[in-house]
Amino acid sequence: MAWEKSIEEIKRRREWAAAQGGASNVARQHDAGRLTVRERIAGLVDAGSFQEVGGLTASVTYENGVAVDATPAPYVCGLADIDGRPVAVGGEDFTVRGGTTASLDKRKGGQGGFSEDLAFEYKIPLVNLIDGAGGSVSSAKRRGHAVFPGVDSFDRSVELLAEVPVVSAVLGSAAGGPAGRAILSHWSVMVDGTSQVFAAGPPVVQRSLGQQITKEDLGGTPVAVAAGGTIDNAAASEEACFEMIRKFLGYMPQNVHELPPARDIGDSADRIEESLLSVIPEERRRAYNMRKIIELLFDRESAFEIQPDYGKGLITALARLDGKVVGVVANNPMVYGGAMDVAESNKQCHFIELCDTFHIPLIFLVDVPGFMVGEQAERAGVLRAGMRAVYVASQARVPVVTVVIRKCYGMAGMATCHQAGLNLRIAWPSAEWGSLPVEGGVAVAYRREIEAAADPKQREAELEEELREYGSPFRTAEAFGVEDIIDPRETRAYLCRFINAAQGRLKTGLGLKPRAGVRP
Amino acid sequence: MAREEVESEVTGTVWKIETKVGDKVAEGDVLMIIESMKMEIPVLATEDGTIAEFQVEETEPVAEGQCVVVLET
Repeated sequence: MAWEKSIEEIKRRREWAAAQGGASNVARQHDAGRLTVRERIAGLVDAGSFQEVGGLTASVTYENGVAVDATPAPYVCGLADIDGRPVAVGGEDFTVRGGTTASLDKRKGGQGGFSEDLAFEYKIPLVNLIDGAGGSVSSAKRRGHAVFPGVDSFDRSVELLAEVPVVSAVLGSAAGGPAGRAILSHWSVMVDGTSQVFAAGPPVVQRSLGQQITKEDLGGTPVAVAAGGTIDNAAASEEACFEMIRKFLGYMPQNVHELPPARDIGDSADRIEESLLSVIPEERRRAYNMRKIIELLFDRESAFEIQPDYGKGLITALARLDGKVVGVVANNPMVYGGAMDVAESNKQCHFIELCDTFHIPLIFLVDVPGFMVGEQAERAGVLRAGMRAVYVASQARVPVVTVVIRKCYGMAGMATCHQAGLNLRIAWPSAEWGSLPVEGGVAVAYRREIEAAADPKQREAELEEELREYGSPFRTAEAFGVEDIIDPRETRAYLCRFINAAQGRLKTGLGLKPRAGVRP
Repeated sequence: MAREEVESEVTGTVWKIETKVGDKVAEGDVLMIIESMKMEIPVLATEDGTIAEFQVEETEPVAEGQCVVVLET
């Protein structure tokens, strides 16, 4: 065989690649509770589906013109299948020089790398398995000059956000470029305890601010997921993280030129849940479990919460109705009565843009008393953030159905409707709405009358009672100010009917979503 | 026995304590009710266990994230 020696050489070089950073570095990675990048890819994708690209990239030692040893490039990438659909996948190999950037003719992954180009050119989802801290000041010595920011530009990463689903998992300590890459995703996840993400790690913080802080306190899940919302979801383990990635992609089309995949699980559109009648307490001050309502209305076990630990006054979830993918935006009365604060507004804006980009209709389950009030909220800029949610809702072009469960007040209420579209609003009998809740509103509107009364407290209570009568949802339905009031048990069938009817229309809006204007 | 600290999800005032020390509770049971934004917000047991200690009293203000009940699990 003419090429026997070269074929043997390919085999040998692939073995070097498979050895990664060597047995001791691999053991150290495992001791830290982490998998290697090759184990991660194997754990994520369909068995045997990984077609590596660039397996021969390495720093090779030659003796007398013969390659005798090699250190693989610290990035592994290629094409694979997830649930039978192709994806581009790649990740830093932390066992090789801590996953730092390699000096290759072209980047394999990260911003502007081959895996991004593969996803872009083939219009397939991209999964980044991030475990690296990016560039180092030592690269200046290697290159002979300091690197101007943007030598590895994020332009392709940004372009991808308009075209194909991008998922990033932070699986180690990520700072710099890899951390930034994680954020430029439609959805991101990290692992409790073994992963951290920050703009800059503890040594830089110590040097810049004199603060001593651990990696975990600076960028563990309590900070990055729950407090900052920097990363969307936390997973209990790397395996759980892969499961979540597969789940998220299961709701996504391969690209914006397709509809998201329907999946019939045999849950009847006409399923009636009696408990929907008793889930809302008659006492209007009492909170209830909105997650329970989501569980009852949507296809069984189809709801996947995005950002469950951030902006907890709002619940955002991907789910299915009669097999069709929908986005659920629900206020959570358990947290400040469901008031929209800055975090809730940020969460709602991101989720609506995600759904709008991938042609996923939106279902709002509304119980919102308004924007959050108080000095703290105002200092955080609640009004601007809240109006941004109104702006983003107005720009959405997917069908929207608004289900008013209880309160729908003020501008936060407007952010749950779609006046730019059909503006279909259906209400439960427990619904109430207005520009302002009666309590508080009365004191402002009738201040003089209340102050002049012999018993101001009693007059205020009388006025509240009088106005509450006008608050009956039936009066608004008479005027077609809300499209329907329904028995809560009919909600699932009603929603399935409209979401099924919207499928044809969704096809007319495929492709890139144009966006104009300036978000407030 | 592990100690599980149950926190209030909201800033507000303790309105009603609906359990007492020594009560056995299941995950999701209402332990007490906080009044916030004119709403009654329940504090729910985060795990099955026994109430070991209350860290607040009725009418006392609480902050978001403050531990209000300790469970022995």
